[in-house]
Amino acid sequence: MTDQVTGTDNTVSAEVRVGNELGLHARPAAKLAQEAQRFDCDIFLVSGDQEVDAKSILDILTLAAQHGGRMQIRATGQDAAEALQALTGLFKSRFGEE
Amino acid sequence: MSRIILTGIPVSSGIAIGKALFMNRRLYERIPRQSIAQHFVEAEKSRLKQAIDQAAVELEVVRGQVPFEFKEHGLIIDSHIAILGDLKFRNLAFGYIESMRINAEWALLKAVKEMEKKFSIIRDDYIRQRIQDVRLVTDRVQSKLMGLTHEMQEIEGRIILMAHDLAPSDTVGLEVDKIMAFITAEGGKTSHTGILARSLQIPSIVGVKDLDETVEDGEFVIIDALKGRILVEPDEDELAEYIALQDQFEGYQKTIVRNCHLPAETIDGYRVQVQANIEIFEEVAAVLDHGAEGVGLYRTEYSYMNREVLPSEDELFEEYRDLASILSPAKVVFRTLDLGADKFISGYGALDERNPALGLRSIRLCLKHRDLFRTQIRAILRASTAGNTAMMYPMISGLRELREANRVLAEAKAELHEAGIPFNEELPVGIMVELPSAVMTAELLAKETDFFSIGTNDLIQYSLGIDRTNKHVSYLYQPLHPAVLRSIKHVVDAAHQNGIEVSLCGEVASDPFCVPILMGMQIDSLSMNPQAIPGIKRIIRQTTMDECKELLRRVLECRTVTKINKLVMETIFQRFPEELAFYSSLLDNEDFV
Repeated sequence: MTDQVTGTDNTVSAEVRVGNELGLHARPAAKLAQEAQRFDCDIFLVSGDQEVDAKSILDILTLAAQHGGRMQIRATGQDAAEALQALTGLFKSRFGEE
Repeated sequence: MSRIILTGIPVSSGIAIGKALFMNRRLYERIPRQSIAQHFVEAEKSRLKQAIDQAAVELEVVRGQVPFEFKEHGLIIDSHIAILGDLKFRNLAFGYIESMRINAEWALLKAVKEMEKKFSIIRDDYIRQRIQDVRLVTDRVQSKLMGLTHEMQEIEGRIILMAHDLAPSDTVGLEVDKIMAFITAEGGKTSHTGILARSLQIPSIVGVKDLDETVEDGEFVIIDALKGRILVEPDEDELAEYIALQDQFEGYQKTIVRNCHLPAETIDGYRVQVQANIEIFEEVAAVLDHGAEGVGLYRTEYSYMNREVLPSEDELFEEYRDLASILSPAKVVFRTLDLGADKFISGYGALDERNPALGLRSIRLCLKHRDLFRTQIRAILRASTAGNTAMMYPMISGLRELREANRVLAEAKAELHEAGIPFNEELPVGIMVELPSAVMTAELLAKETDFFSIGTNDLIQYSLGIDRTNKHVSYLYQPLHPAVLRSIKHVVDAAHQNGIEVSLCGEVASDPFCVPILMGMQIDSLSMNPQAIPGIKRIIRQTTMDECKELLRRVLECRTVTKINKLVMETIFQRFPEELAFYSSLLDNEDFV
């Protein structure tokens, strides 16, 4: 996982890998959306040509991200940096699953 | 004649007669579709927002009432709450109200349609099917919008509850004493509705086609959950007939359940263990209520299925431990994973096999995916100190496979030792005998295993070379075929000669026509679905070992299955006329009753 930060209009992004054995299924999707909703900034998950709202469980589900899949988290707004840190942390911890 | 007869899958037996009441009728056709004036847009949006919020609050309340035993249901409700909280989804519906100037119900319907489109192209089966959750929660919101009560708070008198489908959240807090039967349009043999109905001991039929379209609230119906039929607006003759049948059935049930805790002992003092086959933890209530002397077969696949993430060792351990300790001192036999053929789990999906029944399934699949197997074995070992437990491997074909499985067991034991985690060193480990090769080598296998459990469902199919679900050959599925009887007898004798116990856990164990023959072979234990136990125990208690042995002797002299079936049916019908009024038997797979 590579954390990286770019400066334009307070947008930050990082690349993450889906570590859960069975991908971004309902429970991790719910956790991710819940966590994202805590922040004011806009947060998107970008995978291939798909870009979805990280605050929406249904959006995240439609990504159907598989184990090992890579995606980018992009956050824009005041608390973007904190949001990015919190969300990458969730990916790192595999959403608390084994 | 009744107005119409619907059919479905009976999942909890019995007869109910009364008025139908719908909850969660499929709302689709009835959703009002109206355009609205511009100045109503904001009001319509707040009406929708309120309905969603109310639905979410209701679910939160329901969530708080979910008892511990149903914790999986709690997790489903959690994800439903998360869907209701999805702002993107709300905004999608709000957007339709604004841009198309339509009412909230129609906008919500359109939002669901849009989600259906998005989900339909997802390849992952599990995620694609989550659209069902979206439908279930939005139906709840629609009911709110349309001013329908989603819950059954105000039931007048006793009713027959009908629904398109019942989510776990729908059934929490129902006034169950007012419900005479559960009927749903969706669902199959293992659905939540059936489990609930069986634990409440009320009749239930699921998978009823055209239910929503056919039955109106308040219509008079007869539920025949012995045969899986629903008679809508019956005539007087039908009514009289069913009132009599209901009376007879309930009387019989009362008698047998009252005596179900008495031991299964023949008149001449021969004792056989009667145990339960179960597949989910919640069935433990049914086990205790029906006089089972333990669980002879715990099918462990359920906790692996219908979920996105494989269960962790800790989660399995907790489930196994709870089961063992609740049933203690009665025994629980854990069967290790029996996947493949017709059951699959995430990540170990259907292989492209020409012949799955003969393919990579069951113990073979476990021996190929050692981590999966070892995790389960460790969980079973860790739970072994919580009660009276045993473990068995399914589908063992011979010694080599048994030894290989035992090697994984030995590794798991060594790991636990090293980690200082306690377990029962003497945990009995048996095998399922369900392949002809295991039958033929039973003497050899008996020397290296602690017990046998004969799985007749598979044994019959593999011995006779037929697929029971294939309608062209299902007539060949004959439990009392001379080859099957000789196989079972051979296994029982081989076990006893080597001083180990043998049980039988196929459907045959609950067939009143087959049980006396198995008794004649001196089987040690019979394991069956809990609901069948009281009836089978009663038959055993009224018979003698002498007559069972005599029946077995005569049956073994017959040369054809036709002759055997005729002999057995005549003998048993004559001997137990009262008991057999409510049974259908495996012996005759053409319709007879």
